[in-house]
Amino acid sequence: MTTTIMSFWLFCNIFVLFQKKLLSMILWLFLSSIIASLGFLFLGSPDVAMAEATASAFVTIIFIVCFENFFGIKNLQNFIEEENSKTRENIFKKIILPAFVVLCTFALFMNFLPQAPQDTYLKNLYILRASTDVGGQNVVGAIYLGYRVYDTIFEALLLLIAVVAVVHLSHFDGVYKKDGKQSEVKNNAISLFTVRIVAPITVLFGIYLIANGAITAGGGFQGGLAVASFFICRFLIFDIYDIPIKKVNKLEDTIFVAVVIMASLMVFHGFFGEIPPNYLPIAQNIYLFIMNLLIGIKVACGFTILLYRYVAIERN
Amino acid sequence: MENLLHIISNIFIVVGTFFILIGVIAIFKFKDFFSRILSTSKIDTVGAITILSGLAIRHGISWFSAKTILLMILILIINPLKSHTLLRYAVISGHKNKKAKGNKEVAK
Amino acid sequence: MSLFYMSLLEIILWVILLFAIVCVIRVIKGPTIWDRVLGFSIISSKLVLIIAIFSSMRNTAYLLDLAIIYTLFGFLGEIFLITFLSKNVKERG
Repeated sequence: MTTTIMSFWLFCNIFVLFQKKLLSMILWLFLSSIIASLGFLFLGSPDVAMAEATASAFVTIIFIVCFENFFGIKNLQNFIEEENSKTRENIFKKIILPAFVVLCTFALFMNFLPQAPQDTYLKNLYILRASTDVGGQNVVGAIYLGYRVYDTIFEALLLLIAVVAVVHLSHFDGVYKKDGKQSEVKNNAISLFTVRIVAPITVLFGIYLIANGAITAGGGFQGGLAVASFFICRFLIFDIYDIPIKKVNKLEDTIFVAVVIMASLMVFHGFFGEIPPNYLPIAQNIYLFIMNLLIGIKVACGFTILLYRYVAIERN
Repeated sequence: MENLLHIISNIFIVVGTFFILIGVIAIFKFKDFFSRILSTSKIDTVGAITILSGLAIRHGISWFSAKTILLMILILIINPLKSHTLLRYAVISGHKNKKAKGNKEVAK
Repeated sequence: MSLFYMSLLEIILWVILLFAIVCVIRVIKGPTIWDRVLGFSIISSKLVLIIAIFSSMRNTAYLLDLAIIYTLFGFLGEIFLITFLSKNVKERG
């Protein structure tokens, strides 16, 4: 099952490279990322699958906005028009079908290969000690919030640097011009109604993911992305860009500082050795919840800034 | 009692896959975009709802069936809307049926 | 009985995965971009079903969160894609 899904995913990734039109390329990218998330699920890591599924929509939306920005609407017509069907058939016959066949045979023979002996010492240690050391049932959450806190701090720093770079590289005077057109969704009563239903459900679901980060396959990053999708819905419905970006950026900075302080407090408190592992079990749960909440707010702020910056540049 | 629930859920799931099979055939049989979207979108929604209700029956009263019912409601709201927006913007952007256009020209 | 049920669910998992792979042909072949988006939406709805059946096989309720996320985010991304298409596509015939 997993081998067929992963070969399917590789086939989609190869097909992304051979697309000539831009729009079908975006569509294939969306498809390949969704199938990749299914493959992650079948390989046994639902956390990564959820992060991939939430990030795929954001990646495609940012790609769409960027292409619209860079090429402009008039030049895009050259990319969109249908190409000759003969070249497509040639590519399909010569390159892609043999590649698919080779991939499928490879996936079939993957099952008969001798497997290398695995060293399971670290895995067993994490599974044994995670619930007592850090707390919570989700061992992945225990690893990235307990044993590897510094990794998460540096990942948060990376996102912060990316947001700061986008804000400072895109010169923008802060005045949003509105063109006379209304947004496409606003004209349509049915889709307006349904986006209005879907938006609160996504926000509620994001809050649920953040709050139950220690128990279920979720956490700060996934929940933050789900909360940030509310602003996509707002952009779709009302066509408003009046978010105070500087304030949101300052909020993100302060929350990053709070994440660093929280993590260093817990590290100095001591996970290992001297303090017995069952020391203050309630504090462990509160620590996991607060870290998930802070990371969720930070990710939501960062992605709203990225999205609105791209949209604002595109409109002006 | 559990055996009876299993049999009922099996029947639901098999019927759902049959619906989905019809939807997949309908993509390849028709030659226009409009007839394709007319046939496949409805059948796809129906198949998904029957399979999910079969899963909900199999697990009885539990969190699992509650979440499947939530998923069913979401699919019931979202899936027709997707096809509606797709069709609407296809018409707005000027997609026309080639056969119908040829017939109109012949009639003129 | 339970063994028969498990085997049936596995068979149906394989069958729906085969349907999803077959629908890719429509995405490859479709003469217009709208056919491709239609095939994509049908594939995504099948993947949701695969996740639901997999979580029922494992009897784990928390995997259904992933299916809900799939439906919500697939909807948002697709709506964005379709509105972008309707702005920019002008067909010849």
